[in-house]
Amino acid sequence: MVVAVLPTSDKLLVYGLEYVGCGMEAFILLLLAAQGRWRRLKGLCLYVAGLFLLDGLGRMAALNYFGSMSRQYAYFYWLTDVALALGAFLLTCGFFRRACNQEERLWRFVRLLLVFVFVLAVAISALDLTRHYTQLYTGFIVEFSQNLYFSCLVLNTMLYVMIQQLAIDDEELGLLVCGMGLQFAGEAAGLALLHLTSGEHMARLVFSFLNPACTLGMFLTWVYAIVKTPEALSVRSKVGKQASLVAAVAD
Amino acid sequence: MFMAALILMVSTGLFFFYLQAVCQKILRRQFAQEFFQSIVNANRLEFPSVRKAIEDFGSPVEYPRLTLTLKCDFLALTYLLKNAANINQRYSYEERLLILYFRLAFASLIVCHWLKLRETPVVLKLTAILEYFANVVGERVNTVRFGNLTASDYLLNL
Repeated sequence: MVVAVLPTSDKLLVYGLEYVGCGMEAFILLLLAAQGRWRRLKGLCLYVAGLFLLDGLGRMAALNYFGSMSRQYAYFYWLTDVALALGAFLLTCGFFRRACNQEERLWRFVRLLLVFVFVLAVAISALDLTRHYTQLYTGFIVEFSQNLYFSCLVLNTMLYVMIQQLAIDDEELGLLVCGMGLQFAGEAAGLALLHLTSGEHMARLVFSFLNPACTLGMFLTWVYAIVKTPEALSVRSKVGKQASLVAAVAD
Repeated sequence: MFMAALILMVSTGLFFFYLQAVCQKILRRQFAQEFFQSIVNANRLEFPSVRKAIEDFGSPVEYPRLTLTLKCDFLALTYLLKNAANINQRYSYEERLLILYFRLAFASLIVCHWLKLRETPVVLKLTAILEYFANVVGERVNTVRFGNLTASDYLLNL
């Protein structure tokens, strides 16, 4: 929608970045399947599949069918945005679970915190949506998305700090979390800039490039994590405790 | 408005934080052996002596020589990355990211010097990036020289 008001050359670049992003989503799914890591990274697999179906295929189909300035496309875009934000939140929960693999007591506390954050986010979102349902095209939706992505960014950063503090030896998880952090930070910053400048032309231009560029940065980081890092295996020992082994994956 | 400004500042800061974290994780990649030493000797690179000066004396060499050394080694290593034993004659994505990271760190070194702040952590970061580049070049050269065989396998098959 923001892209519709850009000059043609900028539109081509933005669409190019989005198509490359779509291609990366399919590539990551194939990579996970080929490397046999899809069983262990189920959450990541589901999130990327959701991105591919909703963002890659769904939005493009809606754009082509309804047109960029239509109300139906706007509803579809923002509703899928909420679905993807929810998917990102669940993926972050999955990363927290993996980080707390060796710390069951910590996981019980973190689980409560995540449930609380989710209930709070749903309650605030439901309240705001019921109040502003007739005004979805106003600056409200930008502020709502900005707050949602910023909350995910804060959670993601808490997770990264927790990984560093607990000295968790899981390079793959660290890189996956960094990738998500790049995407959330870029998205939140772009939306905040859009909100601050009330949709001024330069801010729209920056946001149009920033969103697909940060998503692409996240995918490239994830590809690096899947291809280059050792795979962490979890086995049950004879006494019933979980132990972690790190097996090097051949290059 | 205040919240949006706060979110913008915090998000921008965290964006660069995560970018740095990704670069640090790439730099922590383990190589089969220390390939960089042969590249340093063959090309007379000086960044190991800069790092040694910090480790032995706690402070780097004087600033003009330091920047010239690092810049020359960077130019030499980026040329080798692209042209030495590289079939594609192109930088990989992680190499491009680290080249950008080096440039940003170099700019921060200049700023630290102007503001008379401690330069040692930035210099160590720069030498770590150069060592990574030298290791990558050395690994590629080693592979081309011996193919898929290790050096001892190669000698046994002669």
